[in-house]
Amino acid sequence: MMDLLRSFSWQELRQHPWRYAAALSSIALGVALAFSVHLINASALAEFSSALQSVQGQPDASVRGVSGSGSGHFDEAVFETIAAHEAVELAFPVLELSTYALNSNNKKIAVRIVGLDALSAAQMAPALIPRPKETAARFALFAPRQAFLNAAAMQALGDAELRIVNGSRIETLQAAGSISAPGAPLIVMDLGAMQDAFNAQGQLSRIDLRMRAGASPSSITLPSHLLLAQPDDAGERTDQLSRAYRVNMTVLSLVALFTGAFLVYSVLTLAVAKRAQQFALLGVLGLTSRQRLQLVLVEASLLGALGAALGIALGAGLATWGLRALGGDLGGGYFSGATPPLQWSTFAAIAYGTLGWLASVAGAWWPARAAQSLPLAQTLKGLGHVHSQQRKPWIALLLIAFSALFSWAPPLFGMPIAAYFAVGLLLVGGMGLLPWGVSLLYDRLSPLVATKALPMLAVERARRMREVAVVAVSGVVAALSLGVALTVMVSSFRVSVSTWLDTMLPAPLYTRLTSSTQMADGLYFSPDRVQAIAMLPGVQRVEGIRLRNLNLGSTLPDVQLIARPIKLQNAAKTLPLVGEIFQPPAAGAIPVFVSEAMLQLHQAVPGQIYDQKWLVAGIKSTQSATESIANQTPPVFYVAGVWRDYVRQFGSIVMDHAQYVQLSRDERINDLAIWPQANANTLAIQSQVRQLFSEDTALANLVEFASSAEIRSISLKMFDRSFAVTYWLQAVAIAIGLFGIATSFSAQVLSRRKEFGLLAHLGLTRSQILRVVALEGAAWTAIGAIAGCMLGLLVSLVLIHVVNPQSFRWTMDMSIPWLRLLYLAAAVMLAGTITAWLAGRAAASRDAVLAVKEDW
Amino acid sequence: MSEAIVVRIKDLAKRYGQTNVFTGVSLQVAAGEFVAIVGDSGVGKSTLLNCMAGLDHWDAGSLHVQGADLGALSDEQLALWRRKSVGFVFQAFHVLPHLDVAQNIGLPLLLLKAQPAQITPRVNTMLQAVGLEGLGARLPQELSGGQLQRVAIARALVHAPALVLADEPTGNLDPSTAEKVMDALISQTRSSGAALVLVTHSQAAASRADRVLHLTAQGIRA
Repeated sequence: MMDLLRSFSWQELRQHPWRYAAALSSIALGVALAFSVHLINASALAEFSSALQSVQGQPDASVRGVSGSGSGHFDEAVFETIAAHEAVELAFPVLELSTYALNSNNKKIAVRIVGLDALSAAQMAPALIPRPKETAARFALFAPRQAFLNAAAMQALGDAELRIVNGSRIETLQAAGSISAPGAPLIVMDLGAMQDAFNAQGQLSRIDLRMRAGASPSSITLPSHLLLAQPDDAGERTDQLSRAYRVNMTVLSLVALFTGAFLVYSVLTLAVAKRAQQFALLGVLGLTSRQRLQLVLVEASLLGALGAALGIALGAGLATWGLRALGGDLGGGYFSGATPPLQWSTFAAIAYGTLGWLASVAGAWWPARAAQSLPLAQTLKGLGHVHSQQRKPWIALLLIAFSALFSWAPPLFGMPIAAYFAVGLLLVGGMGLLPWGVSLLYDRLSPLVATKALPMLAVERARRMREVAVVAVSGVVAALSLGVALTVMVSSFRVSVSTWLDTMLPAPLYTRLTSSTQMADGLYFSPDRVQAIAMLPGVQRVEGIRLRNLNLGSTLPDVQLIARPIKLQNAAKTLPLVGEIFQPPAAGAIPVFVSEAMLQLHQAVPGQIYDQKWLVAGIKSTQSATESIANQTPPVFYVAGVWRDYVRQFGSIVMDHAQYVQLSRDERINDLAIWPQANANTLAIQSQVRQLFSEDTALANLVEFASSAEIRSISLKMFDRSFAVTYWLQAVAIAIGLFGIATSFSAQVLSRRKEFGLLAHLGLTRSQILRVVALEGAAWTAIGAIAGCMLGLLVSLVLIHVVNPQSFRWTMDMSIPWLRLLYLAAAVMLAGTITAWLAGRAAASRDAVLAVKEDW
Repeated sequence: MSEAIVVRIKDLAKRYGQTNVFTGVSLQVAAGEFVAIVGDSGVGKSTLLNCMAGLDHWDAGSLHVQGADLGALSDEQLALWRRKSVGFVFQAFHVLPHLDVAQNIGLPLLLLKAQPAQITPRVNTMLQAVGLEGLGARLPQELSGGQLQRVAIARALVHAPALVLADEPTGNLDPSTAEKVMDALISQTRSSGAALVLVTHSQAAASRADRVLHLTAQGIRA
């Protein structure tokens, strides 16, 4: 085998290095993109977990409030009971606040403030042990308003006075030392000092627990507004948050690898066809059919291994660059903080490398089988090249039927794995139907061009040599179908988001203090401020929105509660509803509108009572509510409708603000929608709102304004930016497909020199021969474009109706950008035609006119 | 009489580098005449045929076909001239594998932009003339070597060219089939009135020509 590789295969490679380089680079590119996406995400997650661990320490379990991160404070009275529980060895009370600090330039810096028992920190969270400055006062550790900063906080805020935003006020702290915790800006205080400084006396965010040997945290009975979280939950939740985005990015990256497999198929099919007589001669000399199969597979295997190795190296480089340029979430917005260092994974490198190698070997399988089944005698006589018999399309149809079946399958591990498999089957099945499609189209076109010599020559060749045509255009079909599918999916998503924004932004002007829901409890408009804004000249009316996170105590991320004015009668106008509005199934039931994710993740059923303890407990868990309505009858909620939420993929609940206030006594407002009077100056309104905060310039600077047009424009810009990478990947895939056309045509034009010589003898000029080649290119890429578009539309159906709902748990309306698809198909056809013409030109320059002379 | 002369060659010489292929070749072929050119391998028979087809250049002398000075025509003009005036038959058949028999035969007419109403009956006539009636819809791969060569003959004559050039048309055929193919070639050429120039090693084929010329490095002689 080695001898054959050295002589037989090496010679072929030396003759056509560019053709093999194209196949090699497409495999390398596919592996590189997928591997780099994996490395970037793994690095970001590792960094996040490491930061999380240093902040949280390593408790066996944590007691938290049902109301989620950022708003889950609960009464510390429960601490005594829990700490005294026989199963608990150590209980570590923590108060946490996510808010902004203002630096010397009044710039907002997002910080996390942790209040803890400094004396116990060594046992539970060593990275949070306060280290007072040498100049600090005695007992600075416990002194009021003394804060200890990590390196990032120290760098951003300095080492002296700290100004921290607390609700609508600014609290002043004194930097008294440092902590060793790495990551984003973090400030540690003594628990009591923090409770005093932030007006949170008697409140805790969580109690970390270390259990006695053999004791289980589940033996602790907790009140309904508290829950027990496992230490891995936070990491798992973050993993969940970005998982769908990550998997979709990876699948997108594999587009190049998939196209690469078709390019390997195309290159090796041509190589086998070109060397058919040599294979036949080797067969006559004693090489068995199995050895011929092995030879082609070994060639592909070496190609794949080299491509995979290059891909892994390139992927590591891309990941390093990506982490610096795009951050750990590739622009997805899931992680915040410093740029994480690259986390190399040998296992992942082997896995992605193997994937690349497998793609190459899979692409080589059919050419290898062709080499195996060559009819030796016929091939030696040069009669083995014409493929006129059409294979029955039942295998392809079966694959498409299986694809339909898989597209109905539910998600696996929360991911649309079966749907991706369905897409793969659909592409392979569609490709299998290509010869039949060629026949269908060109059998009908043939009579129409029968009287025009050049088109007739091109169409007849495409029609009668359809197997060869299919080999040439398979890469283009694969690339274009994925390109079309992504274009339709992105366009549908964009149109749906645009419509969604129109409904979600009814007011001309919006204002808020923070965009972070983590800070929603700390940064808000108090009722008197809202009232003051409503009374401002030029303001017609205002609507307040309260945002809260509800932690369910599972590995799932928080559900967001949105309290805003909404009635059953006007819900359809103010919420992008999916389906009908339901009347209460029982007297007194309170309507809530759930996002689509709630149906999948949290057992919400439209029109039925939504009996979830976490929802009741979450709404009632605010401090004031706990005190005043603790003994009231628990409210009963029902799902009045389902709405489309493109922001919170893990679920959100909308309820009427008035009913929320009635239940929770929580009157804080996070976002305020403002309707100015006709002809009112919105800039003047903004200025007046800021003046309401005039007692504190720093806080006044926190007030953010945006018109609905601005929010719409920014949202769509962000959308376009996050999907820009898909267009690049499409372009790469289509370029690879076109390279496949180029290699096919140059190989065929060379092998058809005698045919072109004959045409020259019959009186065709060189330009006419090139026109025939270009027309063939047009005829072949036309079928490729038609098939690619049709397959792409089918794939887009799966992406829109299966992959998206299963990945992100939201639906969208299909919107086909026909004109753009037409341009895309026309561009591919034009590029294919020019590519074929160029390939023909290069080959025809070798004086094909006299090729027939070999017989004279 | 001069207008009946289709091919007029005078003192033609061809060199490859420093090597003379042939020199001083002078030859005339009249309309309806069948001339066979024989000679040793490598003496330049095929090159001479190339020159007559306007596919190769020569180094000295002149070559006129139907009064046209081929040496003065551009590549484009030569292609157009070939399309109208020349028919070819090759040793290796050379039919287009993706066209059926009727399409292969009708191709020269299509290139001359003949009307479909003229093409079909003319192709049918040629199919009948070469004994291939009923096989017009077949693909080349479904035919035998003898049948393929008859397709090539029909294609060479379908547009009634003034000159038919044949290079070893029976070289790949058994004697019996070769005789039938030569019958078809000669009868159809004669009935069309075209001049036929045949290059061959076959004594049997050459013996049927009106004139047999021997090509040597020094020239051509009867």
